[in-house]
Amino acid sequence: MKKTLIFPLLGLIILGVCAFFFLSPSQEKEKVEFSLPEILFETSGFYDQEILNNKELGDLFIVNFFASWCKPCLAEHPLLMELHANGVKIVGINFRDDEDNFVEWINKHGNPFFHIIRDDGTIAYEMGLIGVPETYFINNLRVVKKIQGPLFYEDIEEYL
Amino acid sequence: MKILKSIYKLILLISVIFLSTAAISSENQLNDYYKTIRCLVCDGQSIQESDTEFAINLKEQIKKKFDNGITLKEINKELVSIYGEKISFTPSKNHIFLWMCPVIILIIFIFFIRRKYKYRSN
Repeated sequence: MKKTLIFPLLGLIILGVCAFFFLSPSQEKEKVEFSLPEILFETSGFYDQEILNNKELGDLFIVNFFASWCKPCLAEHPLLMELHANGVKIVGINFRDDEDNFVEWINKHGNPFFHIIRDDGTIAYEMGLIGVPETYFINNLRVVKKIQGPLFYEDIEEYL
Repeated sequence: MKILKSIYKLILLISVIFLSTAAISSENQLNDYYKTIRCLVCDGQSIQESDTEFAINLKEQIKKKFDNGITLKEINKELVSIYGEKISFTPSKNHIFLWMCPVIILIIFIFFIRRKYKYRSN
């Protein structure tokens, strides 16, 4: 009787251990919300040469990484313009871009940004950017949602 | 005077050799480290092999930190805290059980088979 029980028991123990590791919350799930890095509030803006003022920004705002060489950025640009028209404050971070190309791009397609910072990659690294475009939804200086790739209407519906 | 000049030249040569060796070794150290960092936008490639903007930027940021005296261990810790465990090709100790599981199961299996075999031969 005892011998016949050994294998099922062993199997159950292994299954239990596997289930424990599978069901325990992983680090990925915990890392959805994180605070904005300080460097974002230490780098001066491109147009006004001023440091980002979080009191002017308010609690809810958006941080958008873009570049003139990035084609999908152009695809989401009309949506950003619509958000801007609706009074949503967007902080634009120009990621590893040529200055002339960037200015030409903004002049050609319009500026939906409340504040623009040109980034050599340091801010992107601190924020865990994977590629442009990437959008971070901020609430109370914490990232509450992150969209990799171009924005779609469903992503911003609640902001309109 | 001549001796002094040649000593001076020798010291200069030694320091140049020393500095270039140090630069090469730190470069090699960095290149080896890049091989352990996963490029998150390319399948199965490390940032060392990849030419994507993500990989180029990560390499630049790591090099900047390394040149400022931050150790690779500290850089790795920071990278994992920013991007999560998926950024590294080398698993942390948390996964040791996962890696050891097949070995443990094999040992248990051999143990039981041996016992059964012994029991039968007796």
